[in-house]
Amino acid sequence: MFSLATLLYLSALLFSIGTYGVLARRNILVVLMSLELMLNAVNIAIVSFGRAHALTAFSGEHGGQIFTLMVLAVAAAEAAIGLSLLLVIWRRWKSIDLRQLCRLNG
Amino acid sequence: MEHLFFGLAAVVATVSSLLVVTRRNPIYSALFLIVMLAAVAVIFMLLDAVFLGFMQLLVYAGAIMVLYLFVIMLINPREGDLTDEGGATERAFAAGVALLIFSLLSFAISHSQQVERLDSAGSIPAMAAVPDSHGSVAAFGLELFHNHLLVFELTSVLILVGIIGAVHLAMRRRSTPRPPSTVEDGQVTVDV
Repeated sequence: MFSLATLLYLSALLFSIGTYGVLARRNILVVLMSLELMLNAVNIAIVSFGRAHALTAFSGEHGGQIFTLMVLAVAAAEAAIGLSLLLVIWRRWKSIDLRQLCRLNG
Repeated sequence: MEHLFFGLAAVVATVSSLLVVTRRNPIYSALFLIVMLAAVAVIFMLLDAVFLGFMQLLVYAGAIMVLYLFVIMLINPREGDLTDEGGATERAFAAGVALLIFSLLSFAISHSQQVERLDSAGSIPAMAAVPDSHGSVAAFGLELFHNHLLVFELTSVLILVGIIGAVHLAMRRRSTPRPPSTVEDGQVTVDV
């Protein structure tokens, strides 16, 4: 049960749930949270592949974990920038509804 | 025992991520996202990535989610301000795309010869016996600073750029209107 394939199926499931959240929701906050969800789903896949290849990988014993740590840092930067963009949008239009942000729509 | 904990963490992660994308109030979404991140941290620790699991808890469930909750409380949406969510067509479209992605990924996983070959060695704990130090702070740090130093430094630059960008974007501009355009040397300068 606790096998590589199970972990990859779990990762795929969480990724699709995140995709649903990004596509279906109109609240920017929830869309950003769904993005974090998708990043975490990919992290599970990376760490489980890294564990399965721990002794044979070219990048060393902890290659997958180090990659995931970098993804964590990117996610932190993305959250900071995304949330400050959200604050600017809120100040300007008093709304965090994605439908209000279609001004480039011809 | 590991199988039991893995099953529990997987179920908790799936259910709470479903709740994240379906709750109407973003506060509930954020709180369920914390539960989901903790479950993912448990999965990391079961995969012998103990240090990474703690980093997940510290950075994600600690720092990033506090940022989210802080922003939610800062903009303080009232019940009437909550965006009404999309209609049935939008949801059906999104669910269809998500289902398509899931079925494609499942097809790829179930037909991958590499996954099959790795899985034939048994479950993850039995697969490749790693040394006891695997995933510990010492072993992880040694490898990070020996083999991946450049990536580490580049990440710190990225974080710095993120900080500067966030401060610049979130800085409150002057609320008073700027003085009208001034005429200098016959040229009209226009503030934009």
